Amino acid sequence: MGSYLLRRIPSILLVLLLTSVIAFALPRLASGDPATTAAGSDASPAAVAAIRTQMGLDQPLPLQYLDWIGGVLTGDLGQSFSAHRSVAELIGTRLESTFELAAVAAVLMIAIGVLLGIAGARVHGGFWRAALDAVNAVLLAAPPFLTGLVLILAFGIAWPVLPASGEVSLSENFEIGIQYLLLPAVALALPQAAAISRLLESSMKATAREDFVDLAKAKGVPGGRIVRKHILRNSFGPALVTIGLRLGELLAGAIVVEAIFGRHGLGTLAITSVQNRDYLVIQALILGAVFIAVIMQLLTEIGVAFLDPRVRLGGAA
Amino acid sequence: MTAQATTASADRAPRRRTGNPLLRRYARAFRSPRGVIGASIIAVLVLLSLLAPVLFPGGFDQQTRDALLAPSLQHFFGTDEVGRDIFVRTIYGARVDLSLVFVAVPIAAVLGTLLGLVGILGNAAGAAVQRGLDVIVGFPSLILGISVTLVLGAGWTALVVALAIYSTPAFGRLARATLLTQQNRDYVQAARMLGTSKASIMTAHILPHTLDTAVTQAVVAVVSSIFLESSLSIVGLGIQPPQPSLGALLNSGARYMQQLPSYVLGPAAVLLILVLGFSLLADALNRAGAGR
Repeated sequence: MGSYLLRRIPSILLVLLLTSVIAFALPRLASGDPATTAAGSDASPAAVAAIRTQMGLDQPLPLQYLDWIGGVLTGDLGQSFSAHRSVAELIGTRLESTFELAAVAAVLMIAIGVLLGIAGARVHGGFWRAALDAVNAVLLAAPPFLTGLVLILAFGIAWPVLPASGEVSLSENFEIGIQYLLLPAVALALPQAAAISRLLESSMKATAREDFVDLAKAKGVPGGRIVRKHILRNSFGPALVTIGLRLGELLAGAIVVEAIFGRHGLGTLAITSVQNRDYLVIQALILGAVFIAVIMQLLTEIGVAFLDPRVRLGGAA
Repeated sequence: MTAQATTASADRAPRRRTGNPLLRRYARAFRSPRGVIGASIIAVLVLLSLLAPVLFPGGFDQQTRDALLAPSLQHFFGTDEVGRDIFVRTIYGARVDLSLVFVAVPIAAVLGTLLGLVGILGNAAGAAVQRGLDVIVGFPSLILGISVTLVLGAGWTALVVALAIYSTPAFGRLARATLLTQQNRDYVQAARMLGTSKASIMTAHILPHTLDTAVTQAVVAVVSSIFLESSLSIVGLGIQPPQPSLGALLNSGARYMQQLPSYVLGPAAVLLILVLGFSLLADALNRAGAGR
């Protein structure tokens, strides 16, 4: 596995390098001058020029890039001109909110997805089959913003049991914080959970037809044990690949869900920075999002190899 | 010149024969229950949005003094904060959504398929293009949309570009997979040994096969594109008011959920029905393909 990881490093670095170039280039491709925006609407040309020098925008582009990427590698992300503080500090204040949302949503997504998937593979007919199919179809078709809006209408307005907007951080007050977190996390988790459950279900059905399952049955292994030890373990690989991919989409969904539920996380920070053209903040956020997505993918590959010894990461593959 | 002309005419005959079963399969997809329901939903919504200026000549920005009225027979979804009919705005919004996907998805299909077929020039070139597409896939959908909005400024053009870039890699991967499998088929090898040029192998043998998968993928891409449009517009980086889109309506409707739930539920229902139509159609096409 170690040698596999070593061989993956160049392609990961390439993706990150290309992403950093794209993230750096995007704000500069945009029409309009960041220095003019930063200086405010009625700044004198001299003030704009001063800000341009201060922001390093008068330097040649390759030098600006090296300056920025050097800073990123040493943890200095530059200054946000709209918030008048360092980008790292700004991201730091928002990180906890998004992390709490993503972590709770990820746990819910995996739990709901796996439970629905196992149920789907074991229920073969009748009312429950139809009910499961219907629930899955609706959840698959509805993106996070729709589940979010419906949850707000149902549990925030029609039957107001949970707060539908705002937030309290978990570290500040766990009991109230979790109440604010529940609706957005469920909204974010449900559509992804449906995708996981559908995959796990079809993969479990395929595994159930394998010879070793017949052998286990012939030996008289109890049904529950067959599902747990023989079918589930061997079906988890493909589901894990989707979980990895879905974690990346969870990040994208978090942006919308934060906006709908009025949370102040990295997603809403990204939106306001695009609106304010606060380009150093956006550059950092784009690079960070792709970095996390790439790491998730790598962790997934390791997880798949861990579950299925047939996939030898260090071997000929 | 004459030699080329004969190979071209020789190629045309088998192409017609492979073309017919393809069309038959599409016909079968449209006869299946899913296909019929899906296509009907799409037809009704496309017709409504095409006829919107005739049916609702007042346009999407006709303001009245009746703000935030409850749904009634006159206003199916009620009226918004400046007295505009939300149902009319929803139809105009669906029109904007359909115009976006009907422009962006074909661009992505052509661009992605061509990029996927670059591999015929050489394996290294094909692999390099795939690495490039991998970088796009690495961007979570909304981050990609935000990046494009940043460059072009929020609006219709930025959305078309974002949706096209977002949908391209899937077509590229499918085309490359088809190319790699078809390239090694006996009849393609035979054609190559007979001295058929790369260009005519491409048009006669490989392109029809990529077309096959691309059609289904296009319908799937429409669904994901509608979702990306709504997501971007909901957070305020898509279609800008007063112009409506299904996502933009959800954005403004979310602020009045307490007073007028139909402001959100109406556009959301139309969005779901639209997506359902395309999903059913994609399913039907897929099944018709699997039963080949």
